Amino acid sequence: MSYADTKESFEAQIQPVLERFEERRRQVLKKAAIGAGAVVGIAALAAVMLAANGQGDALAFVAIAGVVIAGIVFASITGPFKRAFKQEVVGAVVSAYDDSFVYGAGSGVRKSTFKASELFQKGIDRYRVEDHVRGKLDKTEFEFSELHAEYKTTSGSGKNRKTSWHTIFKGVFFVADFNKDFSSRTIVLPDTAEKMFGFLGRKLQDWNFARPDVIRLEDPVFEREFCVYGDDQVEARYILSPALMERIVRLKRKFGDQIYISFLYSKIYIAISSTKNRFEPKMFGPVDMALVREFKEDLDLVLGVIEDLNLNNRVWTKE
Amino acid sequence: MSIAFIVIVVLILLVLVVMYNGLVGKKNQVENAFAGMDTMLKKRYDLIPNLVATVKQYASHEEGTLTKVTELRAKAIGGGLSADERIDLDNQISKAMGGIMVAVENYPELKANENFLQLQRSLNEVEEQISASRRAYNASVTSYNNAIEMFPSNMMANAMNYKRKAVFEIPEVERANVDVGKLFGS
Repeated sequence: MSYADTKESFEAQIQPVLERFEERRRQVLKKAAIGAGAVVGIAALAAVMLAANGQGDALAFVAIAGVVIAGIVFASITGPFKRAFKQEVVGAVVSAYDDSFVYGAGSGVRKSTFKASELFQKGIDRYRVEDHVRGKLDKTEFEFSELHAEYKTTSGSGKNRKTSWHTIFKGVFFVADFNKDFSSRTIVLPDTAEKMFGFLGRKLQDWNFARPDVIRLEDPVFEREFCVYGDDQVEARYILSPALMERIVRLKRKFGDQIYISFLYSKIYIAISSTKNRFEPKMFGPVDMALVREFKEDLDLVLGVIEDLNLNNRVWTKE
Repeated sequence: MSIAFIVIVVLILLVLVVMYNGLVGKKNQVENAFAGMDTMLKKRYDLIPNLVATVKQYASHEEGTLTKVTELRAKAIGGGLSADERIDLDNQISKAMGGIMVAVENYPELKANENFLQLQRSLNEVEEQISASRRAYNASVTSYNNAIEMFPSNMMANAMNYKRKAVFEIPEVERANVDVGKLFGS
C-alpha cells in the first residue's frame, strides 16, 4: 500500500481525527493560557508589592522568574497534547506511506548508533531525539529520526560558574543498509579546510591524525564540496562510484545544508544538519489537512534519500 | 656560529630524507595499486569458465564468442606478458564479455536461470571492483607524477632517475558509443 494510491481514502480517514484534535487543541490552549496567565498575574502582584516596599533589586528577579515559570506551565500543559497528536497523526501519515513503517514520537536513533557512525568525534553530554521512523522501503532497510547532540563547557568557579551548551549536530540522522558489501570505513565530510585555505587546506587534511587516510577522488565538483577519509583506497572507490559522487552532490544541493556521510560495514549513515523542527503540531494555528500534507512532504524529502542515492539498485552480489 | 651551521645542515638533511622517503613511498604505492588491480582481474578470470559453461547450455549459437573468451582467458593466465600486453588483453576480455551479455538478451530461458543471475551479479561486482581499482591506480600515479614534477621534489626525483608513469586510460573501443546494429551482427 502506498500513500499515492489511497490519498483520498487516507484523507477521509484522517479528517475526523484531525477534527477531534483541533477541538482538543483549543481546550488545551485555553487551559494553558489561563495557567500561564495566572502565573504572570501573581508575578505582577508580587512586583507591585515589592515596588511599594521600595525593593527595586528584587523587581527584575520576580519579572524574569514570572516569565520563566509561565513558559514552563504553558509547555507542561500543552506537552501531553503534542505527544498524543504526533503519535496518532504523524504515526498515521507514516504507516499510510508503507505498512511496514513504524513511528515513535519520543524515540529516535540510538546514541550508540550515532556514535558508531564516526561522523562526529566530540564527546556528547546531552543527546535528544524525537520522531523516529523505521522500516523497509523496497529492498532497503532504514531508520531515521530528528537528533540534537550537544556538549557543554563550564567557565568560572563558585558563584560565577557558567555552563553553556554547544551543538555538535542538529538535524535529521538517517541510517540505511547500503547496496554493496564492504568491510572498511569510508567517511565523507564537508570540506571546510580546502574551501578556506585551498592548497594548504589539502595538506592540513593529510595531517588529520584523528581520521583514516585521505582519499582523493577524481570528480572535481565532489572534491570541492567534500573531503573523504577511508581505510582502503580501492574499497572507498568501489563504494563511491562516479555515479554515486554525482548523486551525493545533488543531494547536498537539494537539502542546501551541510551533509555528513559515512559508510561503515555495509551501512550508510547520513547526517543532514537542519534547524527546522519537523513533524510538530502548531499550538497557535489550526491542525488541519495542510499540516498533514506538510508532514507528508517532509517524509518524502527524507525518504527520497533512498531513491536519490539509488540504494534499491541491487545488481551486485549483495541482495 | 658553528652551532647554527650544524642546525642548518641537520635541517637540510632532514628535509632530504623526508623527500626521498616520500618519493619511494609514492613509487611503491603505484606498484601496490597495480597489484591490487591484478587481484581484481584474476577474480574475473575465475568467473569466466562458469559463465561459459552456463551460457553454453542455452545459447549454442554463441559458440564463437564463448570460445574466444576462453582463449583470451587462457592467454591471460598463461603469464609471460608485459604490462601493456596484459592491459590490452584485459580490454579485449572486457569487450568479449560485454558481447556475451548483449547476446544473452536473445535467450529468455538463460536470463531466467538462477545460476546465471548469480553469475551476472558476481560479474557486475567484479567489474565495479575493477573500475574502482583502476581509479585507485590512477590516483596513485597522479600523486607520484605530481611529486616528480613539482618543485622541489623534482630535483630529488631527477637524481633518483624516477620517470613519469602513464595513467590507465579507458580504451577507445570502450569510450566509443556502442553500435547496437553491429553487436547483433546485422
